[in-house]
Amino acid sequence: MWKIVIGFLVFAAVALFVLSKGGDIDMSGEKHGVEAGPAAASPAGSASVPAPAK
Amino acid sequence: MSTAVANRPMSPEEKKVIFASSLGTVFEWYDFYLYGTLAVIIGNQFFSALDPASRTIFSLLAFAAGFIVRPFGALVFGRLGDMIGRKYTFLVTILIMGLSTFIVGLLPNYSSIGVAAPIILIALRMLQGLALGGEYGGAATYVAEHAPRNKRGAYTSWIQTTATLGLFLSLIVILGVRTTVGEAAFADWGWRIPFLVSILLLGVSVYIRLSMNESPAFTKMKAEGKTSKAPLSESFGQWKNLKIVILALVGLTAGQAVVWYTGQFYALFFLTGALKVDGATANILVACSLVIATPFFVIFGALSDKIGRKPIIMAGCLLAILTYFPVFSALTKAANPDLAAAQAKNQVVVTADPKECSFQFNPTGTSKFTSSCDIAKQVLSASSVSYDNVVGAPGTPATIKIGQAAIPSYSAAGLSADDLKKKDAEFKKAVADDLKAAGYPAKADPAKMDKVMIVIILTYLVILVTMVYGPIAAMLVEMFPTRIRYTSMSLPYHIGNGWFGGLLPATALAIVAQTGNMYNGLWYPIVIAAVTLVVGTLFIKETKDVDIYAND
Repeated sequence: MWKIVIGFLVFAAVALFVLSKGGDIDMSGEKHGVEAGPAAASPAGSASVPAPAK
Repeated sequence: MSTAVANRPMSPEEKKVIFASSLGTVFEWYDFYLYGTLAVIIGNQFFSALDPASRTIFSLLAFAAGFIVRPFGALVFGRLGDMIGRKYTFLVTILIMGLSTFIVGLLPNYSSIGVAAPIILIALRMLQGLALGGEYGGAATYVAEHAPRNKRGAYTSWIQTTATLGLFLSLIVILGVRTTVGEAAFADWGWRIPFLVSILLLGVSVYIRLSMNESPAFTKMKAEGKTSKAPLSESFGQWKNLKIVILALVGLTAGQAVVWYTGQFYALFFLTGALKVDGATANILVACSLVIATPFFVIFGALSDKIGRKPIIMAGCLLAILTYFPVFSALTKAANPDLAAAQAKNQVVVTADPKECSFQFNPTGTSKFTSSCDIAKQVLSASSVSYDNVVGAPGTPATIKIGQAAIPSYSAAGLSADDLKKKDAEFKKAVADDLKAAGYPAKADPAKMDKVMIVIILTYLVILVTMVYGPIAAMLVEMFPTRIRYTSMSLPYHIGNGWFGGLLPATALAIVAQTGNMYNGLWYPIVIAAVTLVVGTLFIKETKDVDIYAND
């Protein structure tokens, strides 16, 4: 069990490290790519939706 | 079961079973986050050159991949799993998923092969959705059927930890590649590398899964010639079992899904979208809370072997119902105290003809809300302003009153793109100026942020997730007999999580815009969790002591 705990902590530490260095990234869940583009940026367009189906 | 068996440590074979099954679900999550994180780049590579009508069609198809194809995959692969076996079925699902992900990394973009590029991409998404539908049920069933009777909760809970592992793996790969090749190269071609890396995960998963044995319960059933010939009609055509499928959906997975989405995704969206915390800070805070709370999946899974699955899952739902409003309110005070103060001090009023106001429910992202009321509410919601609604005279445009003067909104219908842009900028500036004067902050002030308190609150929300999600795989497995287990448990899981969970962001957003209170989106998870609490408490029996082979 202790190997799993250490493995998880190391893995999490690496993830937190790259996250702290890597700047902004979208962690809000699955999207499909279609919603990201010029048409979706229309001012009167739909309200943006963070995380659809899993 | 003897005490010796009950208390023995996990055997190497059991560890391998858990590892092999969990690796597949890590893969599932890795893929889930790849698409989410790289959505803008994928959009630019494959969809941005499409005309608006085609974009709408592709949006609907992409939406279908999540909402329709996954439950359909649960039926297709659940049926196969109950007929030909767990091992080969979830070997197929991981192959389909892994190869589809890998091919995305090789797929030429729109500028190379035209409209074929988005068509193939959507087809690959459909295949992934299909495979995803079969993956979780297979992993849960396979692990549970290998686990000792009194450790099914503990063993299956390892699968539930893979959401965090998949997220962290995707972050490491994406950010590692992006930092190495640079932003421009990453947007151009570097984004393909995380998809291509999936072939390594696939290779390891297939290698391990090939070396595994079929589940003992299924092997025995097959040897005795008792496997189901028609799992679908047995699962859903007979009221005795269909009733349990419906109960599993309404009384378990629906509530689990909304608590999960609220804790893991809506909390992040609330931090960045409503409380205006910058994305990088919010991500770190959420990641910290995940690190702290993830072990609780195993803790609650193991605890469910002792005190039962039902009390833990129902307690998770109950705590969510009782505490979401105060907890999210505390999150506002910790993350953006200026916003909390401005909301308490000011009264903002939207006066509009009710006929002008839509319920802005837009899960596919294809609807446009162009009336003056809808635009006014969108702008206020985007600024996290709580407002009152007053009925306006019929036919008059909506107005927003923040201080003394009323700001008239506008209708976007019939305006040219240039006029729309101009009107939009003027209106937003007028609202922003009045909001600023009223003390509404444009962004959360990092100096005033109580980061420790934010992490405590986020950790609490994720611990609620672990309460409902940790024991649920074992409970679903124990509700159905071996001959139809894979089919019967997969469907409520995917409908619960796909439909009830997947619709949470769009529904919450629409409720917020409709009612004018940024906390009111929480009513959606609260109501669904309440339904699950009542139905689950009254009609679902505890399963921890069920002999899952009794009816084989």
